[in-house]
Amino acid sequence: MFFKSRRRYGLEVDVLVIGSGGPGLMAAIAAHDAGARVAVVEKTARVGGTTAVSGGVLWVPNNHHMPEVAIADSREEALAYTRRLADGRSDDRLIERFLDTAPAMIRYLEERTPLRFKAIARYPDYHPEFEGGKLGGRSLDPGLFDTNELGAWKDKLRRSAVFGATAMSVTEATEWGVFSKPLGLPFKLLAERYKKGLVCYGAALVGGLLKALLDRKIEPMLSVRGREILMEDDRVVGLRAEQGGQELFIRAKKGVILASGGFEWNKELAAQFLGGVVTHPNSPPSNDGDGLKMAMSLGADLANMSEAWWCPSVVIPGEEYDGRPLSRGDFAVRSLPHSIIVNRKGQRFVNEAHNYNDMMKPFFTFDPVSYERPNLPAYLIVDQSFRDRYMLMTLLPGQPSPPWLPQADTLEELARTIGVDAAGLAATVQRFNPFAREGVDRDFRRGESAYDHFYGDPDNRPNPNLGPLDKPPFYALEVFPGSIGTKGGPRVNLDAEVLRVDGTPLHGLYAAGNVMAGVTGPGYPGAGSTIGTGMTFGFLAARHAAGQKGS
Amino acid sequence: MPEVAFTTEMQLPRDTVWAFVSDMNNWAPFLTGYQKHEIIDGTDSLWTLKGEVGILSRRVELRAHVTEWEAPQRVCFTLTGINEAVEGGGSLVIRRATPTALAPAIPRSPWQRLLSALGRVLFRLLHGGGAAAGEGAALPPRSAGGEGVALEFTLRMDAGGPAGPLVNAMLGPALEPAVEDLAKKIAAHLERQPAR
Repeated sequence: MFFKSRRRYGLEVDVLVIGSGGPGLMAAIAAHDAGARVAVVEKTARVGGTTAVSGGVLWVPNNHHMPEVAIADSREEALAYTRRLADGRSDDRLIERFLDTAPAMIRYLEERTPLRFKAIARYPDYHPEFEGGKLGGRSLDPGLFDTNELGAWKDKLRRSAVFGATAMSVTEATEWGVFSKPLGLPFKLLAERYKKGLVCYGAALVGGLLKALLDRKIEPMLSVRGREILMEDDRVVGLRAEQGGQELFIRAKKGVILASGGFEWNKELAAQFLGGVVTHPNSPPSNDGDGLKMAMSLGADLANMSEAWWCPSVVIPGEEYDGRPLSRGDFAVRSLPHSIIVNRKGQRFVNEAHNYNDMMKPFFTFDPVSYERPNLPAYLIVDQSFRDRYMLMTLLPGQPSPPWLPQADTLEELARTIGVDAAGLAATVQRFNPFAREGVDRDFRRGESAYDHFYGDPDNRPNPNLGPLDKPPFYALEVFPGSIGTKGGPRVNLDAEVLRVDGTPLHGLYAAGNVMAGVTGPGYPGAGSTIGTGMTFGFLAARHAAGQKGS
Repeated sequence: MPEVAFTTEMQLPRDTVWAFVSDMNNWAPFLTGYQKHEIIDGTDSLWTLKGEVGILSRRVELRAHVTEWEAPQRVCFTLTGINEAVEGGGSLVIRRATPTALAPAIPRSPWQRLLSALGRVLFRLLHGGGAAAGEGAALPPRSAGGEGVALEFTLRMDAGGPAGPLVNAMLGPALEPAVEDLAKKIAAHLERQPAR
């Protein structure tokens, strides 16, 4: 009690949110609207976290925009589908809580913030053929956002290194065929939008949330890093933070909401918890596991720690983001015809066009005899037909091949250049090409699912995802194990309260987003599952915290 | 095509400024994002810069070729992207400035002038009666009679290919501060050199 009286709080609020991604901003808005005094602390100098560099889509089954695109949905279908993907590794009650709350959260956002959403009719769930899966409509597009709406906060909005300059909504990107028809993109329109200050994807979502927050006279506190959750009398009462080398104590009378992102950039934590080898995160480097460590130090129970939102990644030498080498997630390129992914033996090992979360898992296959991962390193191999038609990361058709893209006139020569078994690669292509011409991948079922087709070339016959590699020169690009964020962390209850190992809540501490144990277990149900579940639990946390009596 | 120009003025003789800027080794590190450069011959050089293009930081390699060399007042050059589809060029012109244009860029108080004068005296004492040191050693003397010059940079860059309009939209905002920064750093560096 002596220490309690000695602590000097620099700020006192009802609800303190740590992190300014979608889940954090959602929590701050909802807590304010429920009558709480709110503060948001953000570790970096920019607002938006992982959400801001993402696609910005929310996966919300049974949302009220689905009838607008003539797609029917139901709670039962969504539950059956999500449970299947969670694979028995999540609490069914949490899945139900998500499914019951998320549609209401979307209505709330549209009624009380500038955000407006549109169901993306053609964006399929990631396993649309599973029971309860849909061919579209569950993923919601936030459209574009005019950053001029943010006034002085315009330049404090985090933007993606990959999507940040091309202001096109997800719906437009789908219709225009960003990767399959890159030369048809309206570059003049995109240039005008860039000059006007329009942003898309995650920056658009965060822009709308930030505007809503600023409208409520709440300004995020930037460059404030949470260090310790403060407890008094068995209840969370605040945060010890760092700001510019100084300690800052913030009192939160009703609750602290952790929304500080994953731990994918923390090499020690990643090595400790993740079964695979994640060498190339796609998120902001600030995702260092701060929230996880603070929750662990209070005895929080952990779950889903070996899982991440996996994503195959590519590096272009010289590109940096926030002072660290940039890893670009390969969401689409590997799905286009005239391409395959091979391991060091030159063999295919996965359906290259499958969703980025699940197609990563065979990369981590372990051979108990050789005691190594035979599918690493892995390479994307394409031929000149691919280069003539499609976007290869930053390269448009017709652009000269840069030094970071090894090329050779024969597959054998290319294999030797990159250190892959030459005979193996030649044999693989010899086997693959007839499949491609026939339009049926008899080895890995590439191009079978409607999901595969979404990122394929709709004009390619007979299959949007399959084309032979028969036109030299051939090109290779290493594909690294990456992640858009981890999804293991403190376990929560139906109100997003963090739980102890004995199942009782750590009163006053909440978690939402990638910092918390993911609701979908190892699965990735559809585009926007990360943000959809994260914001929903931010919403739940805020409402519960704001309703507390307070310490 | 994004094109920017920036002019800064200095109370220095034109020869002093020319002696400095005509040797790219002197000012290369002042370039925003400078990584390295390599002189190929009397007219050509290779440059590696780390540029902020949009949100992304990216390494850009360029070949610079001098097309006009008119000492002590004018250099024109072209730029060709090696790893990016960009072309461009520019010029560096040193003009005699009009007297009215020679007011110090930053007004200085009497105290600042006194401290500056004391600093110069101290420097001379410490360095044996006026021998300048370091990079300034080879420079001709500072103008004593109010002679001054205007240093004008122009730079244009044009991204080719179908995505050119978008890349140019991103390049434009990046070029202006880079050119301004370079000119100001050169001016500040030369102004800091002790008069002899």
